[in-house]
Amino acid sequence: MTGTQWVPLALARDITPGTSAGTVAEGAEIVVWRDTDGRAHVWEDRCPHRGMKMSFGFVRGDHIACLYHGWEFDEGGTCRKIPAHPELEVPGSICVARYGCTETGAMIWAALPLGAEAGELPALPDAVPVRSITIEAGLISVANMLLNEENAVIEGALATLDSAHGPLAIGVQPIRPGAVTLHIATRPGASTETLLAICDWAETLRRTAEKEIAA
Amino acid sequence: MPASRRPASRATFTFSGQIRPDSFAEFAAHRAARLSIALDTVALDATAARLRVSGAPDLLDAFEMAMSLGPADCLVREVDRNDNN
Repeated sequence: MTGTQWVPLALARDITPGTSAGTVAEGAEIVVWRDTDGRAHVWEDRCPHRGMKMSFGFVRGDHIACLYHGWEFDEGGTCRKIPAHPELEVPGSICVARYGCTETGAMIWAALPLGAEAGELPALPDAVPVRSITIEAGLISVANMLLNEENAVIEGALATLDSAHGPLAIGVQPIRPGAVTLHIATRPGASTETLLAICDWAETLRRTAEKEIAA
Repeated sequence: MPASRRPASRATFTFSGQIRPDSFAEFAAHRAARLSIALDTVALDATAARLRVSGAPDLLDAFEMAMSLGPADCLVREVDRNDNN
């Protein structure tokens, strides 16, 4: 990936209100968290105090608190509370770097790299999340496998294709050289059997891709 | 009264040890900016850095702690603090 790009980091369903999760995109460590009102946030996964991963922290309403010393940050990334200094009005310079983020197509997307002005991500059609799957293979080889499917198109970090189990929208998250996570969604109304079949399809894709690497 | 609303404290620190002036200065500037502290470098060489700072009292303490650890290529052996209030 070069330049600025919207990259999917999680299926929206998997980040429930009041929770956080760590991930990696293009080698950058990132926390994805959702406040209790349901808004998603994507930040650098590093507390400015001691470098602890914010993804290990606790969501408190629209704040997230670091696990290590309890420094608490508001939704703008600014530190609002340092428990060891309860009287201190924390200056706005103590903050966590934020990524632009949005939710569409059943996925949470972030504008990479940090500080990028990626423009608006066009809204994707409604979709039902299926599963995320990480593949230990390079981005190009995984992309080529997706392009082998019927009517496959890759635009930016989104692949759309017609599998034997129906249409799929697949967000492609480059983790690092040699590893990719796919966030898979399908059309609304898909049956449980179909969703399970798509999961099997994804696992077959992973086995095949990783076997090719091992060969 | 919240600490940062109190009159700003001032202090002069002398960090002595093995100092690489460029990286120590960069480290100090970064930490001072992060802590909203005004920083004035009085003297800086390979053996010591003398820094005059002002800001919220608690954050001057934080600055002292951060600088006593220093950047990875410096070794601070002694810290002398002179509060100027």
